[in-house]
Amino acid sequence: MGAFGHYLASHFTTLQKEFWYLLVGGVANGFLYGMVAVGYTLVYGVLRLINFAHSEIFMSGGFAGYFLMKALVGTTVPSGLSSIGLIGLGIVAGGLVGALVATALERVAYRPLRKRNAPKLAYLISAIGASYFMFNLAGKEFGRYSVSVPQPYINHAVFHVFGAPVLMYDIIIFVSGLIMLFALDRIVATTKLGRSVRAVAQDAETASLMGVNIDRTIALTFVIGGALGGAAGFLFGLGTGVVYTMGFTPALKAFTAAVLGGIGNLRGAMIGGLLLGIVESLSVVFVQAAYIDVVAFGILVAVLLFRPTGILGERLGRAA
Amino acid sequence: MKLRLNKTVAAAASSALLLMAVPAIGLASQSGAAAKPTYVIGYEGPLSGGNQQLGLNMVFAVQLAINQANASGKLPFKLRIATYDDQGDPTISPTQAQAAVANKKLVAIVGPAFSGATAAAEPYYHKAHIATVSPSATRVSLASSGWNNFFRVVADDGVQGPADANYIVKKKGIKSVYVVNDGTAYGAGLASAFATTASADGATVTPATVPGTSQCQNGTASATQYTAAATQVVASGAKAMFYGGYYCDLGLFLGALASAGYTGTVMSGDGSLSPALIQGTTPASAANGVLLTCACASSTNPKFNKAYQGLAHFSAANATYAPESYDATNAIINAMKHLKKITRAGIVAELHKLTFKGMTKIVKFQKDGNIAGSAIFVNQVKNGKIVQLGLE
Repeated sequence: MGAFGHYLASHFTTLQKEFWYLLVGGVANGFLYGMVAVGYTLVYGVLRLINFAHSEIFMSGGFAGYFLMKALVGTTVPSGLSSIGLIGLGIVAGGLVGALVATALERVAYRPLRKRNAPKLAYLISAIGASYFMFNLAGKEFGRYSVSVPQPYINHAVFHVFGAPVLMYDIIIFVSGLIMLFALDRIVATTKLGRSVRAVAQDAETASLMGVNIDRTIALTFVIGGALGGAAGFLFGLGTGVVYTMGFTPALKAFTAAVLGGIGNLRGAMIGGLLLGIVESLSVVFVQAAYIDVVAFGILVAVLLFRPTGILGERLGRAA
Repeated sequence: MKLRLNKTVAAAASSALLLMAVPAIGLASQSGAAAKPTYVIGYEGPLSGGNQQLGLNMVFAVQLAINQANASGKLPFKLRIATYDDQGDPTISPTQAQAAVANKKLVAIVGPAFSGATAAAEPYYHKAHIATVSPSATRVSLASSGWNNFFRVVADDGVQGPADANYIVKKKGIKSVYVVNDGTAYGAGLASAFATTASADGATVTPATVPGTSQCQNGTASATQYTAAATQVVASGAKAMFYGGYYCDLGLFLGALASAGYTGTVMSGDGSLSPALIQGTTPASAANGVLLTCACASSTNPKFNKAYQGLAHFSAANATYAPESYDATNAIINAMKHLKKITRAGIVAELHKLTFKGMTKIVKFQKDGNIAGSAIFVNQVKNGKIVQLGLE
């Protein structure tokens, strides 16, 4: 066995030992990425535009959850039903504020441009401007230090998979992430609203001729994407705390996930998010944590080289 | 009409000024009757601009030491403070130094506060044989520039990393350390200094770079990386982790370490020494037990704290470098006490010989003006509060 074989063998033992722990953490991150990624994909579907201010929707959801938990969680850490109730409330608060911010964003930063048939580049600048405005406002109002969110649950190991602990925090993300993504998938696939979203995504002009209210559909798309992004912000903040710049990197990763899965493709965004989270997490078995981003974007480039439209392909209208 | 009114106002104002001046003259002649000579101790540092608070922290401590010395009644002279505001700026510093040199009664300087400002001012002080005792200038090269009038009561930047390594490996007896740096110049420098000494002390060192995150404005990495990074720390089997970086990212790391079941020691430097570390750690209990080191002391002396609060109207607890400024001033006063004839050059010579027990540490200078002995303080987070344990 050569030096390289030895290297592989020694790393394989590490891989076995840590694999499950990293997988659990990766899936949790993946769900968060997925929840943010669907926001990008939905908006791209109906407007053909990357909403670069989505990171600030995520951030506002985080802060909404933070203030709610600060108000509701006392000195003793809740457990059992009250934990579930508090987390539910936090998700609702994060989602509501996320939806509100997304709506405001659509009204102020996008609709005026759409009414004037502005070029796509103008949307991009408008989005970046809105993003800077929002995170700097948050920094001014809420302070520039990262603060931890009072935890509404005890973060103990609930059970073990092959010796690796699965923490309460991971389970909260799995459960709420699964419910929300499944609900979204069903809404888009079966409801009247979903049908109009897909119709606008496929051909906005024809859709409007068929009686679809485009303004309303676009606004609702922002609401749905914003709600998921805001809820994800709350869940993310639970684990790592909140700060005005918290949206930047997670949102960039989620955007990557959306492109990875096929921008505009709802299930693609979910799969892309999960895949990115898992691959990132497992990559540290082979490389240092400093190279996580290199691995993530390396995979993105590799996938796009062979499948330029992403794993599941583009088009919200057809695939979802 | 308008003119006449102005004249009246001017006349009234000038007579008021005259009235005010009379008691002042009276007072001056009274203090002159005491027949004690008056000497001035200068303070040079930032008293305006972005770093003003740091200067204020220091100047009140200098004033307090002077007030207490005057009130003791044991001095054969009286002391006064004069302040020279350099804003911490190396381009303003030389002008202020020249003004200080021109003050005939000025015998020594506490400061300059900042390293850059010190380097720019020192040629003027050196030429005038004025001793400068800095509470806070930590650039290593300041002590090796040939200025025999340069002293500092704080350890320089090269001391912390090695002192931290000796503390973990020799004092605590920990033989395997995972050394993390956050990829910043400060974090990487501190971590590599730590790693070098820890290896020399016989410990197994596993170095790693875990870059700062956008959550903390120290980089662009994702805050979710710490789950994976913490797993690596646990997998390495190291009994201690040293973190070269800042409090915000360390807080995220600590949360992940607790989740990953890490039970070893965690140590970090002055970049992490902030109450914001505990605020930013999820859960806050994960910060308990963490060791934080700094060349700066926090004042644990209740008498000093009370007197300082009375003078400054803000707490000494968060007044960084106030204890060091107090010690620096007292070093100068002690040197003056030993002199029969007080001259600028005499104080420089006396400071080289001086040993006295300051509030933060024994003040004794090495030949190059650096403080002798260990001068790194170790603090620990206990029940969500940072507590100073003492010198390393």
